[in-house]
Amino acid sequence: MWYREAGQFVTNYYQDRRIFPLRFDRWFVAIGLILLVALPTLYGSEYWLSAHMIPLCAVGLATLGLNLLTGYTGQLSLGTAGFMCIGAFGTFNLILRLPDWLINWPTAMLISGIFAGLVGIVFGLPAIRIRGFYLLVSTLCAQYFVWWFFNQYKYFLDYTPSGVVALPEKYYDYFGLSELMGWDMQSYNNRWFIAILFVIGLTYFAKNLIRSSTGRNFMAVRDMDIAASTIGISVPKTKLLAFFVSCYYCGIAGALYSFAYIGNVDLMIYEVDRSFTIMFMMIIGGLGSITGSFLGAIFVYEFPIAFTVLGDYVFAGAGGHAGGGFDSAAVENVSNMAYGIFIIALLIREPGGFGALWGNYKQKLRTWPFPH
Amino acid sequence: MAEPILQINNISLSFGGVKAIENISFNVADGEVCAVVGPNGAGKSSMLNVINGIYTAQEGNITFDGTTHAKMTTSVAAKAGIARTFQNIALFKGMNVVENIMTGRNMMTKTNWMAQGLNLPSAKREEAEHREAVEKIISFLQIEAIRKTQAASLPYGLQKRVELARALAAEPRMLLLDEPMAGMNLEEKQDMSCFILEANREYALTTVLIEHDIGVVMDISDHVVVLDYGKKIGDGTPDEVVNNQDVINAYLGVSHD
Amino acid sequence: MEFDWVYFIEVILGGLMSGVMYSLVAIGFVLVYKSSSIFNFSQGTMLLVASLTFVRMTEGGVNFWLAMVLAMGIMVIMGILTERWVIRPLANQDLLSLFMATVGLATFHEGMAQYVWDADVHGLQLSKFFDLDILRPDPIMIVDHVAWLDILLPRFDIFVSIVAGSMIIALAIFFQKSRTGVSLRAVSDNHMAALAVGIPLSRVWAIVWSVTGVIALISGLLWAERVSVSFTLIEAVMKALPVILIGGLTSIPGAIIGGLVIGVGEKVGEIYFADALGGQGIELWFAYFMALMFLVFRPQGMFGEKIIERV
Repeated sequence: MWYREAGQFVTNYYQDRRIFPLRFDRWFVAIGLILLVALPTLYGSEYWLSAHMIPLCAVGLATLGLNLLTGYTGQLSLGTAGFMCIGAFGTFNLILRLPDWLINWPTAMLISGIFAGLVGIVFGLPAIRIRGFYLLVSTLCAQYFVWWFFNQYKYFLDYTPSGVVALPEKYYDYFGLSELMGWDMQSYNNRWFIAILFVIGLTYFAKNLIRSSTGRNFMAVRDMDIAASTIGISVPKTKLLAFFVSCYYCGIAGALYSFAYIGNVDLMIYEVDRSFTIMFMMIIGGLGSITGSFLGAIFVYEFPIAFTVLGDYVFAGAGGHAGGGFDSAAVENVSNMAYGIFIIALLIREPGGFGALWGNYKQKLRTWPFPH
Repeated sequence: MAEPILQINNISLSFGGVKAIENISFNVADGEVCAVVGPNGAGKSSMLNVINGIYTAQEGNITFDGTTHAKMTTSVAAKAGIARTFQNIALFKGMNVVENIMTGRNMMTKTNWMAQGLNLPSAKREEAEHREAVEKIISFLQIEAIRKTQAASLPYGLQKRVELARALAAEPRMLLLDEPMAGMNLEEKQDMSCFILEANREYALTTVLIEHDIGVVMDISDHVVVLDYGKKIGDGTPDEVVNNQDVINAYLGVSHD
Repeated sequence: MEFDWVYFIEVILGGLMSGVMYSLVAIGFVLVYKSSSIFNFSQGTMLLVASLTFVRMTEGGVNFWLAMVLAMGIMVIMGILTERWVIRPLANQDLLSLFMATVGLATFHEGMAQYVWDADVHGLQLSKFFDLDILRPDPIMIVDHVAWLDILLPRFDIFVSIVAGSMIIALAIFFQKSRTGVSLRAVSDNHMAALAVGIPLSRVWAIVWSVTGVIALISGLLWAERVSVSFTLIEAVMKALPVILIGGLTSIPGAIIGGLVIGVGEKVGEIYFADALGGQGIELWFAYFMALMFLVFRPQGMFGEKIIERV
């Protein structure tokens, strides 16, 4: 009953536009964000950070990026991993080649995102002419081309013979300071700190875009682009902007994936099945939903892990994992079957995915205990 | 006599071998309500589409507000101040009413996406200003109650009203309405007619509308243009047109008031 | 060095034949799209399921023809169930949802096929089943009586072309002459009108999905001979995407021609241009690049229906 909007009035349009209209939400989110940044940075265990929280930042951000392009602007894309790849390689090369006093890891990420965004614009140009499913050809071309490019021109991997760069500690330094006041830069705690700040900042930016005229232009182009052009919306410019912003986000997500999560720059991470995975996350999370993007990412990422844990638990009597839990191939296959069934069931029940379900749930909560 | 705001000069439009519009010319005076009537397939919607640049005519040109355009495109038309509604409602299904109407303010938005993303004060201020303008239109068209409703879930009549609101939000010089009252009952038609007339008078808004209901046409229009099979067969005041023998033969059958 | 014309012709012919393989897969896509506007992302995985089922059966000692019949039966059942449980419940949603459902279906196929049968690579050699001349692995001279023209072609490619060609002719006859085929064309033109004249939409779609499944089986087996049956079969099939996009999503002739274009273009690009573009591996993206260039100039594909929006 305390979660309601009765008694909270908006008196001007600024207030009407707030991201969190309910006072409870505003407090909850504010405190929650502070805790989210502070607690894991200070106390987080290496396992939880490295195996769950940090990768979720990366894939969640990638899903958000894809959602901006496909969910909000209606441009289909299967090139997500390719753009992530550009972000990762860009960050690596910037840190590698620029002097220490000029560049550090977060700054390099911010800049490499621009590279990804620009490549996104190039492969977004066909979207001016090509519509619907046919557009997949452009982003798939981007995906395969980017992969081939970095595989072909070993310069970008610094000619590492194994083809995989294990990022050394100094890459995480700020301006050559290897330990800032005793704080280990390469620790997962620091990586989390950077990662979550990026996620929070970029999500805020995305939310602002969506609730302003740019966001409305995106959605107008998605819903009916002929009508949009009669209002004076430049459909080509809007599409290209969507590609730029989306690929920027994917670029940063890719850099986070390599730097914050895996610790390697490896081309194998960014193959086409990664693009599919992000797309699943977006579908399950719901097209056109920012919250949904993260919810979908969490579900798709955690499901195999949860399933393995379940297997271990169920078969614990037979000796735990080694003794007879589900083996990794079975896990992957059953996961795939589960995703497939899940996507279909979800689409039948609620095409808006988790995002819509979450919205419905909050709506019910606002009027609880009354049904409507 | 004042220079007409819209001059259609010898427009011809074909699709493949089909001539949709054949050498049509007419003028629309500044501030008047001009009805374009005619049987189905006469080329009325196509005419409107040519005016605001969705179709490109093979021959002829359009003079709007003093400027002659050899080739009209949607962006040129929008910038020149032409707004329109569509026969098969072209609302954005994924947004609610306020958002739909706000899109109409697009041409007057100056802050760029960066400023909006960062939620800078300039962006916030502009958003509030546009919202204020949109709210005026919302109260003018009496759709306050459905502000936050998703456009897709509105009944047909209200959708048409929201589309009109979106067109008005652009503060246009000329309004093109494609069958704004199709599918409405008597009461809804009366409301819509009121809104159109009020907008016309309040904002000195030249209005060109396609309409099938002759009663409505007689009541609200200053000027009527009759099309049939892509050709113009009548052009004048409502009374003149109703008494025009060609028009009676082609369209009206027995004349009635 | 003089340009080797004979080799060039062989490359072209080789490209045409590998193109035919792409076309086969593409036809399955087009069938579904034509009749329901659904972009069937699971076409590739259907190939995997079909061929894996078949191969495991024959490895288990089942007779070739029996395995063929059983596999076809399984694909038909899959088609019916897909229509019933996936397509019908989603019939009133927009095309993007349906596309996403096929993505889900593809994932499901992937998991199921490998869970039920396993993820190993299985070779398939049709010559083990039949002692036909045409199935021998060594290449055949198809032209060797003209003085300077000695064209060498792999037998298998010729075999594929014959099978594919027959299938295409069979499908063409099916669509033109049989009652179901005509119903299918009606449905693809206009669902509502088809319903209005009493065509049972669900049944037609069930047939479409079953036929697509059978096509998947046959094309899967032909592909498997080339690349073996495994997960990577799907990768090879991803190449069919540019084929349908060039040919136009709604056109069977387009799928055929698109396949040939991509097949030839790929081979030519690989052999003649690869060095200029910096090495091997470009066939990965070259097919997509070709499709992209084509679509930029003709956004609905070669024979696809132009998307006309009436405002």
